[in-house]
Amino acid sequence: MNENEPFIGIDLGTTNSVVATVIDGVPRVIASRTGQTLTPSVVAVARNGKRLVGHMAKRQAITNPENTAYAAKRLIGRRWGSPEVEDARKALPYEVVAGPEGNDIRAVLGGRTFAIPELSALVLAELKADAEAFFGRRVTKAVITVPAYFNDGQRQGTKDAGRIAGLEVVRIINEPTSAALAYGFGKQMEKKVCVIDLGGGTFDVSILDVGKSVYDVIAVGGDTYLGGEDFDRRVMDWLVFSFAQEHQGIDLRQDKMALQRLRDAAERAKIELSEAPQAAIHLPFLASGAEGKAAVHLDRQLSREKLEELTKDLVDRTIQVAERTLRDAGVRVGQIGEVLLVGGMTRMPRVQQAVRHHFGREPSRGVHPEEVVALGAAIQAHALLHPQKGKEVLLLDVTPQNLGIMVVGGYFSTVIPRNTTVPTSQSHLFTTVLDNQSSVRIAVLQGASDKAVENELLGEFVLEGIRPARRGEVEIEINFDISADGIVGVSARDSGTGSRQSITVTATSGLTEAEMRRILEENLDEMLTRRQVGDFERLRDRTQAVIAEIEGLSPRVLEALAKSKFGKDAVSKAEDVVGRAREAIQARDLQQMIAVEEQLDRALQLFKGLAAGGAPGQKGG
Amino acid sequence: MATVAELLDQGVKAYTRGESAEAERFWEQALELDPKNERVRAYLKQVRGELPPRQGAPEPSPEPAPRPEPEPAPRYEPEPAPRPEPTFAPSPWDSGPTEVATVLVEEGTGLDLDAVGEKSDIRSLVPDQKSAAKSPAPGEVAVWMEGARELFALGDFSGSLEMIERILRVDPTHAEARAYLRQNESTLVAMYESKLGPLSGVPRLAIHAEEVMWLNLDHRAGFLLAQVDGTVTLDDLFALSGLPRLDTARILASLFAEGVIR
Repeated sequence: MNENEPFIGIDLGTTNSVVATVIDGVPRVIASRTGQTLTPSVVAVARNGKRLVGHMAKRQAITNPENTAYAAKRLIGRRWGSPEVEDARKALPYEVVAGPEGNDIRAVLGGRTFAIPELSALVLAELKADAEAFFGRRVTKAVITVPAYFNDGQRQGTKDAGRIAGLEVVRIINEPTSAALAYGFGKQMEKKVCVIDLGGGTFDVSILDVGKSVYDVIAVGGDTYLGGEDFDRRVMDWLVFSFAQEHQGIDLRQDKMALQRLRDAAERAKIELSEAPQAAIHLPFLASGAEGKAAVHLDRQLSREKLEELTKDLVDRTIQVAERTLRDAGVRVGQIGEVLLVGGMTRMPRVQQAVRHHFGREPSRGVHPEEVVALGAAIQAHALLHPQKGKEVLLLDVTPQNLGIMVVGGYFSTVIPRNTTVPTSQSHLFTTVLDNQSSVRIAVLQGASDKAVENELLGEFVLEGIRPARRGEVEIEINFDISADGIVGVSARDSGTGSRQSITVTATSGLTEAEMRRILEENLDEMLTRRQVGDFERLRDRTQAVIAEIEGLSPRVLEALAKSKFGKDAVSKAEDVVGRAREAIQARDLQQMIAVEEQLDRALQLFKGLAAGGAPGQKGG
Repeated sequence: MATVAELLDQGVKAYTRGESAEAERFWEQALELDPKNERVRAYLKQVRGELPPRQGAPEPSPEPAPRPEPEPAPRYEPEPAPRPEPTFAPSPWDSGPTEVATVLVEEGTGLDLDAVGEKSDIRSLVPDQKSAAKSPAPGEVAVWMEGARELFALGDFSGSLEMIERILRVDPTHAEARAYLRQNESTLVAMYESKLGPLSGVPRLAIHAEEVMWLNLDHRAGFLLAQVDGTVTLDDLFALSGLPRLDTARILASLFAEGVIR
């Protein structure tokens, strides 16, 4: 590959996403074209049909909730009807329906159905465009991070999103691993690291065994419905309540516009309070006054103490979850060598204080906590695409969860344990459980639970033709083979008869190849349409400017022509062409606008001449 | 005692019945109550024949744009007022009623957003105390429709729109009213947008942030103004506002005209 080809690392978050790269050996975040480092993971179809991504989409999320998709990450790669999807549906205001195959999910925005990877792809495409604006050329390769608990389907969904966005996803890595990379661990030290990631919508606790370039995520826990948005909501509730007290019971929750402004202001105040003891919340003309009176303002001071009081239980919950995760992993607080803070909410002094108190040590927070995951992804992309011997930490692709089969009693037997480097091939021997058993059902599963039913079923098949024998006498060899592309082949062989059956399991996000092709083609059409719209808007703006200029010159032209016998038809011709230009604008007819553009320019030149030099008859014209 | 709005309304009705003297009397009373009301002034000029004829105006098209389909509205001609082409902004060739042109665009004084509220689907917090639309007297809808046509012909698209909305409140399926609604709206949107400049432009606050609270805005204008942060374009504002395009265009045009944004 071209040594100078740009690459990016992307933290595709539930609430916000970040893109980063490495420049001259230094990882750095790429700001958006509007100067922000965080891009909200929000996609919307506005009331005027315009597709919005990022900040613009977030700014109308409350006024247009049914057409605004956020937290697509909660749905990606999930199956329709799963408990996680049912939970998400209760919390999401936009419509979520089953896909054409009935087992995956689609979101409906502005009357159009989107596959979930398509929604994530729109966010990725925005980040890609920001990166391209930064580099001044195309960017096609990326490392993307996902939570450590994501299964193959969810990881495949993220890869599909990258592909739709025009990115080759060279590696998917775990978020806590990425954070640890960015903090520079794994080069010199061997210790257990606890990553506390309190983001906008989710809270993840991960315990990593780090050492000698190995990053082993040994335990994950968290609360997928705890994050910065819950803190914002507390501030909003406080504002709504105090406003109602002051203004004769005006309930701001009934006014979407007011609520949108409150949400934005609450988030701003919360962020400000990480640095300052007080934050002013000033929202002029927030709501209609009672009984037709003038619109009323909101003016409040929020102190850090008040914020801490409002959110005390949320902070307590983070510590309870961290404690439970350590306990489940059998790790004592004293065994943790480092605590890393990740996610914007960990900037809150009260959160840092609680973590410090619980772990009995100062947490690491030397890097911007909301950027650290993307920076780690950029470091990894750099190591993959520009390898320098002995200098870089290179993460290997590993299996995210245990792979195995269901055995008697409904238990799960692991064949390939989590974190095994791929490609790999492993075999286990099993036996029959009944006398003269002639067939056996092989259910291939993925997950962390001992109970088969609590893991994800990847596929199943039946091995027949087993020789008649007493139970336990027949040996059946089960082989799992995972290719470098993550394709899992499972075979079962009766070593006595040689009878063999197999299945190939490919991780899928629910999108078929045909669907993927259709989406890619539609994206191409969409790009062309957008380009046409862009061309129209540019030409419309220019045409309106020329019309305004012609009209501005008109009085002087009429004055000049009044003194002359000549040139009268110039005005009527100009009127005609201006009329046609206006018709074209109103009909949004790009071709017609192009057709009249030149005539409009000629009319303007003529008017300029007439206005400057008088009528043709006066100056020898 | 009748309000300015009621007197205006009674005047329009009288005018559309062909009773110009009666209309003039109502509008004079309205002017006494509100001497600065530009719309009243414009109507009075019209009824008194003070408006000079338009010079060089294009010939009325054989099929005026607002004619509804499939039921063409009967043409109403109480006064021989010339029916202008539905223009989008004052044209130099419509050299006659410059005052009227100004009035049409800078309608009313300050931010007259009541009409916007009527059409917006974002309701205010306080339950609307106004009683539901009364059933009109027989034939009243026809009079309103004639008024709407007449006002449209006069180039008063806002006035025509008010009449249309009144009709649609009692008869939402009125075909001609719906046709006029579309035409009025698209014309008004074009007029207001022509005041905004290129939609790719990024508006900025033209006053100090502390001065904002001294303005006379409603909560919708307050919302839109809060979105003006020096990064969003006018086009983005149309997408963000959540309001119908006409309302957004009207509010932004008013904010520009008031010098609140630039």
